[in-house]
Amino acid sequence: MENINHLYWRAGFGLDLQEWQDKKNWSIQKAVDHLFAQAKQHSQQTISQDATAGIQPNMSDEQKAEARKRERRLVVLQSVDWIKRMASSDESPLLEKMSLFWHGHFACQSKNATLANNQLNTIRQHALGNFKDLVLAIARDPSMIRFLNNQQNKKLKPNENFARELMELFTIGRGNYTEQDIKEAARAFTGWSSNFKGEFIFRPGIHDYGRKTFFGKSGRFDGTDIIDMILEKRATADFIVTKIYRYFVNENVDVGIIADLSRQFYDSSYDIGALMRVIFTSDWFYTKQNRGTKIKSPVELMAGMLKSLDVDFENELALAFLQKSLGQSLFNPPNVAGWPGNKNWVDNSTLLMRLNLPAYLFHSKEVNFKLKEEFEARQKNKVTRRLMAKVDLSQIYTLVKGKALQEQLDLLSQYLFAQQPSLSIPLFERITRGKTEEETIKIQLIGLLSLPEYQMC
Amino acid sequence: MQKSALASTSIMIPAFLKAYQPQQLQNSRSGKVLVVVQFSGGNDGLNTIVPFRNDIYYQNRPSLGINANDVVQVSDQLGFNPALQALQSLYDDGLMSIINNVGYPNPDRSHFRSMDIWHTASDSSEYLSTGWLGRYLDSNCQGCEAAHGALELDDGLSLALKGAERKGYAMSDPGQLKKRTSNPLLKHLAKQTHHHEEENVAYLYKTLANTYSSADYLFEQSKVYRSTTAYPTTAFGKHLKQIAELISADTDTRIYYLSLSGFDTHANQKNQQERLLKQYAEGMKAFVNDLKKNDLLDDTLIMTFSEFGRRVKQNASRGTDHGTANNLFLIGGDIKRPGFYNEGPDLRNLDKGDLIYKVDFRNVYATILDKWLGSQPHTILNKSFRSMDFI
Repeated sequence: MENINHLYWRAGFGLDLQEWQDKKNWSIQKAVDHLFAQAKQHSQQTISQDATAGIQPNMSDEQKAEARKRERRLVVLQSVDWIKRMASSDESPLLEKMSLFWHGHFACQSKNATLANNQLNTIRQHALGNFKDLVLAIARDPSMIRFLNNQQNKKLKPNENFARELMELFTIGRGNYTEQDIKEAARAFTGWSSNFKGEFIFRPGIHDYGRKTFFGKSGRFDGTDIIDMILEKRATADFIVTKIYRYFVNENVDVGIIADLSRQFYDSSYDIGALMRVIFTSDWFYTKQNRGTKIKSPVELMAGMLKSLDVDFENELALAFLQKSLGQSLFNPPNVAGWPGNKNWVDNSTLLMRLNLPAYLFHSKEVNFKLKEEFEARQKNKVTRRLMAKVDLSQIYTLVKGKALQEQLDLLSQYLFAQQPSLSIPLFERITRGKTEEETIKIQLIGLLSLPEYQMC
Repeated sequence: MQKSALASTSIMIPAFLKAYQPQQLQNSRSGKVLVVVQFSGGNDGLNTIVPFRNDIYYQNRPSLGINANDVVQVSDQLGFNPALQALQSLYDDGLMSIINNVGYPNPDRSHFRSMDIWHTASDSSEYLSTGWLGRYLDSNCQGCEAAHGALELDDGLSLALKGAERKGYAMSDPGQLKKRTSNPLLKHLAKQTHHHEEENVAYLYKTLANTYSSADYLFEQSKVYRSTTAYPTTAFGKHLKQIAELISADTDTRIYYLSLSGFDTHANQKNQQERLLKQYAEGMKAFVNDLKKNDLLDDTLIMTFSEFGRRVKQNASRGTDHGTANNLFLIGGDIKRPGFYNEGPDLRNLDKGDLIYKVDFRNVYATILDKWLGSQPHTILNKSFRSMDFI
């Protein structure tokens, strides 16, 4: 059963009560098969209301500022939608988790909701497919093109930003190419652009058709050729597999395992799905040193809580507030290197927010948190007073009512935690003394969710 | 037990209040204190330190340029925006060193990128996930072992204060912090001595314990000294006052960090910028007076910066757009080169309408790390940057 929890927290966002009761005694093979089967049936995420293709050329300065503000808000709503989708039992947890990983890997600040949504759907399409297809799709993605300035990458005046990040962060990693390679690669990507409708277009007029020398080979390469040549190097497989391992297994790498996985990944022509299947069905994935060792990212924490607790926020923007105050805003990573993860998520401010979350949700305890001001804003941010939420505990009550305290605690912690913590029974006895059964169960829940161990998966 | 402060400062805490120090290992704040003031949004340097004798300035800013008659003419060529009037006495007393043309190679004109570059002290094309002050904390700095060794006056912590192992502490207000730490279950957990084999869980418990012990300590410290000086009644003013009180209470915090935002003046710049600069100047004046009163100014250095300056030519909306190099202020009782450290902006040789930097901000950081905080700049900045002589 603990294996199932571990799997679903790493390959997804945990389990809701129904799912847990159904699957807790499944074999790993069955669970993995099911996860992959669900992933095949995914639907496209749709854009929330009022989407436009963004800033149009004939807008006045004022209209542009208004449009920017509207777009920012839509992107925020899109991010809230996505978190809800991660928590939904109607969607594929594996696909959403994998998309979240790639979203952090191909880190991109999207200022336009339509483009952000398109990029995310593009990622979903290839998240468990072929890595080469994924890279190519991202290189042609309008939001990425704009973020990494490839619009400005022209023959005779190349802009190296995209080529540099493509190699340094998205594929092969530092130390495997020269500055000259970057310059030449930049030339190959000239003309890869987007139009005002937010679609990819190739502008032949600004494309450099000349001969380039890249990785020692010469030819009239274009972007597709460059990507082919980068993936021809085993170093690319090493780089990607290492990143995947550090995210899904353990931030401390096992050199031998990574070498094996990398070889398989390369030999399979970069089949991501196959790689993930191997990871999730390997014995080493389930060893003690890999369980409960990852600090949940803010989004994993939120999606997980939504999933296991049936929370209904009165104000949708609560999930936007939490993204910001915990340090992870979807569609808005700090920079193109994405989110470092683990200890980087935690300081006194974010830790208090995380550990107080149950009290904020269940007791409407005052939050009184003022976010840092946006750089462009003229008005001050408001203080967030409370997170108004309703939590429906009826299913959980049904699960544990009538049982002794110790048994209730056991059941609840088996359900909620990726890795069951050791609990102080006397502590829970003390805080539930004299309370009604309903209150007792609620107190146990809040107590468990407030433990630092709940932050781990 | 508290170690005694060095003889260079005299701390005016009534003896009976010392009994409130919690039982914990802590050093007295002996030695220097750094206060970092961040202007968020890209403050327009040219209208802050005005080159009022330079025709090119007025040619580029027909309506936005500040009249020479209005400029506080503290020197021959350069003067203050009138909103900075309150700084004049500080300037005249030799408490200010103003460095012009501070920036970095290949400047980035995006708020996030440029602010990150200033926070992490990276090159323009590098992405670091730790801040320069966070790395200072990582370097096992003397006297900053406590979680509150570096304190940011805000609800959230900036990248500048995030190290790999150690981080600064975010507190906008001691009363708020006390409420955030009032959860009895968390209080209980924080006091446990946990033994964890797993590294990340151990990190969480350690952070929790430190969060609580620092919260208690800071709350007590905030009650020790009440300033009677008048500060601006804004959040910025309150934060400055809080810092003055904590310093005066001999709190063992070495670094304070606070922000003033709203400087992104693309449109209708004049009033917006004036409002902010006035708040800043009056706040600084009150702050300096407070520290002087308690004989703490010699041990305090205030660095004020912004993530970039703005373009020389005004735009069509009575404002200015993102630019590059900017001025940087150092204020304190131990300034060795008061006044203008270097020449004003060169408006003749611009880079596509933007100022060209002359001083890399990392030289400023190196100087502070080396001479003020007594640490090794090249390990913290990952490169060698020569120290300057403003301190």
